[in-house]
Amino acid sequence: MKKGLRAALGAIVFAGQLGLGAQAQTAPPAGRLLASNCFQCHGTNGYSSAGFDKLVGMKADEVLHKMKEMQSSGERGIMNVHALGYSDAQIRSLAAFFASQPKP
Amino acid sequence: MLKRRHFLQAAGGTVAALGGLRIAQGADNPLTLAYKAPVPVDTGARGTVVVIGGGMAGAAAAKYLRLWGGQQLQVVLIDSSPSYQSNILSNFVLTGARSLSSLTYKWDLLASRYGVQVVQGRVTGIAPASSGIGGTVSVGTTVIAYSRLVVAPGIEFDAVPGVPTALQGYYPHAWQTGPQTTELRRQLVNMPASSGSFLMAIPAAPYRCPPGPYERACLIADWLRRNKPGSKVIVLDANMDITAEKETFTKAFNELYADTIEYYPATMISEVRPGVAGGGTVYTEETELVVDASGTASIVGSGSAGPVFNGVDVISPITPQRAGGLLASVPAILNGGRWASVNVLSYESAVPGIHVIGDASKTTQPKAGHIANQEAKVCADAVTRLLRGDTNLDQNLVTNSACFSPITATRASWLTAVFQYDPVSRTMKKYLRPAGSSAAGVLADGEAGQWTAENFSQMGKWFNQLMADTYA
Repeated sequence: MKKGLRAALGAIVFAGQLGLGAQAQTAPPAGRLLASNCFQCHGTNGYSSAGFDKLVGMKADEVLHKMKEMQSSGERGIMNVHALGYSDAQIRSLAAFFASQPKP
Repeated sequence: MLKRRHFLQAAGGTVAALGGLRIAQGADNPLTLAYKAPVPVDTGARGTVVVIGGGMAGAAAAKYLRLWGGQQLQVVLIDSSPSYQSNILSNFVLTGARSLSSLTYKWDLLASRYGVQVVQGRVTGIAPASSGIGGTVSVGTTVIAYSRLVVAPGIEFDAVPGVPTALQGYYPHAWQTGPQTTELRRQLVNMPASSGSFLMAIPAAPYRCPPGPYERACLIADWLRRNKPGSKVIVLDANMDITAEKETFTKAFNELYADTIEYYPATMISEVRPGVAGGGTVYTEETELVVDASGTASIVGSGSAGPVFNGVDVISPITPQRAGGLLASVPAILNGGRWASVNVLSYESAVPGIHVIGDASKTTQPKAGHIANQEAKVCADAVTRLLRGDTNLDQNLVTNSACFSPITATRASWLTAVFQYDPVSRTMKKYLRPAGSSAAGVLADGEAGQWTAENFSQMGKWFNQLMADTYA
C-alpha cells in the first residue's frame, strides 16, 4: 500500500477514535463480513497458520482472478464449489478487504 | 514464524509415515501460533454483551464481538464447563486414533488476546428488562447486566425409549464429546473378538452435523473389520434416505463396507429392551413423510413395526435433539418448539435483545460447527452495528458450510454449500448462480463423491484453522 494512502486511512481511523466529525461511528470495513467466510480455512483476517494459502497480502485482482479460475476450472474440489457461492461484486468486495490487510 | 513453518514441513514426513493414523494433533499446530488480530481502541460501540455458551458459536461470537466492537465494548463469555471438547473429529476417539485431551479447548487466548471476560459457571436465570432491550443474567448469586445477550446453548437429547433412567448411560449417543465418548469407546473395545454387532440410530432431520452419523458408521465399520472381524454395523435412519453426501455414503455403504454395514432407511427405534450393562434387543418402527396443510413436511412413525434386532452388543442411538434447556427460562424464545426461531440478519430471537446462534437456532442452514462460526460473525457484525446506534443491518449476507468427512482411518471426502440472504423469504438460501453470470444455473452445493488421502490431509488443516479462528 502506498505510504500516502496508508497515512490517509490512518487519519480517518484516528479521527474516528477521537470521535471527530461524521466518521466517529466506525462503520464496518466494506467486504469484511463477506471475507470472514474465508477465515475458517485461511485464518482470521486471512493470516493462515494451519497450512492453507494465506490471503493477506494478495492484490485484489489476484483474488478475483483466482476465484474466477476456480469457478471455471472443471475440477471437482471443495474450493471450486465454494468459489461458486459469490457474485463477482461480492468477490471484488472481499478481495479489497484482504488487499487492505497489513502484510504479515 | 517462517522457521516454525519450515519445521512443520520437515516433520510432515514423520506424520505421514505413521500411515496417516495420527492427524496433525493440537501439539503440531498450537493455538498460540495462530494470528492475533488487533482489537480497535474504539469503534463507537458501547455497552456489555454477554455470551452464554463457549462452543463453536459462542466462542467465535465472543472473539468477533471484541474484534469488530472494539475495546470499549465489554464482552463476557459464560460457560458451565472448564473447557470445550470438539465434536468435530471426535469419531476418531471411538477408533483410538485421537485422544479426548487433543480435542479440548479453553478460552484463555480469547481472554488474554482480545479481552473477553471469561466466567466459568452455570447460568441460573435470564431476566430481560421489562422495557427496552437489555437485562441481567444470573450465575448463582452473581448478577451480570447486559446491553444485548447472545445465547449459544447447544443441544439436548431425548432419552432412549424403553430404557430406565438408571440405565440410560449404557446407551451413549456420544454426540456431545465428553464422558459418553469414553463410554462408547469402552463398549466398542469390549465387544466380542469376532462377529459382534454395533447398532446406531440416526434421528429425523434437523439434527447436529448431517454427515456425522454416516461418517461414524464408516469409521466404526473400518475399525471393526480390522479389530473384530465378522462384526456388523447396523444403521437405523429415521430419514427417508442419506441426508448428506448421498453419493459418497451410498458408495461407501454399498461398495467399501458392503460386508459390514447394514443400512435401514425410514426406520426408527421404538423401544430398546436393555441387556446387562448395555446392549440388548432393539424394536423398530417404520417412518414416513407427512405433509401438513401448510406444506410443511415432517417425519413420523408410521405405526408399522420394522425389524427386530436381538442380542445386539453395543447400542448407540443418536436421539432426536432440541435447543439447550437454558432457553426455556425465557419462554417466548422457543415458543413451545424444539428450536429458537431467529432473524437471520442478526440472529435476534423472538425476544428483542436476545440473540440465539449455533445448533439451538432454527434456520435453513445445517447444524454444524463450521457454519456456527459464520453465524457468530453475522451476529457479531449486527450486534456491534446496533450498539453503535446503527439500525441498518448488512443484507449482503453470505454464510458457508464446509467439512471434511473421514470415510476410513486414512481417507476422507468433503462437502460444502454457500448460502445467501433472500429478502423475499427472509431466509438463507443455497446460492443459485443467476442468468448472465458465469456458471449460470449452477448451485453452490457439492460433495467430493470419493475419499482420498489428500482430502484426509486437508481435513487436518481445516480443523486446526477452524479451531484457531474460533478459540485463538
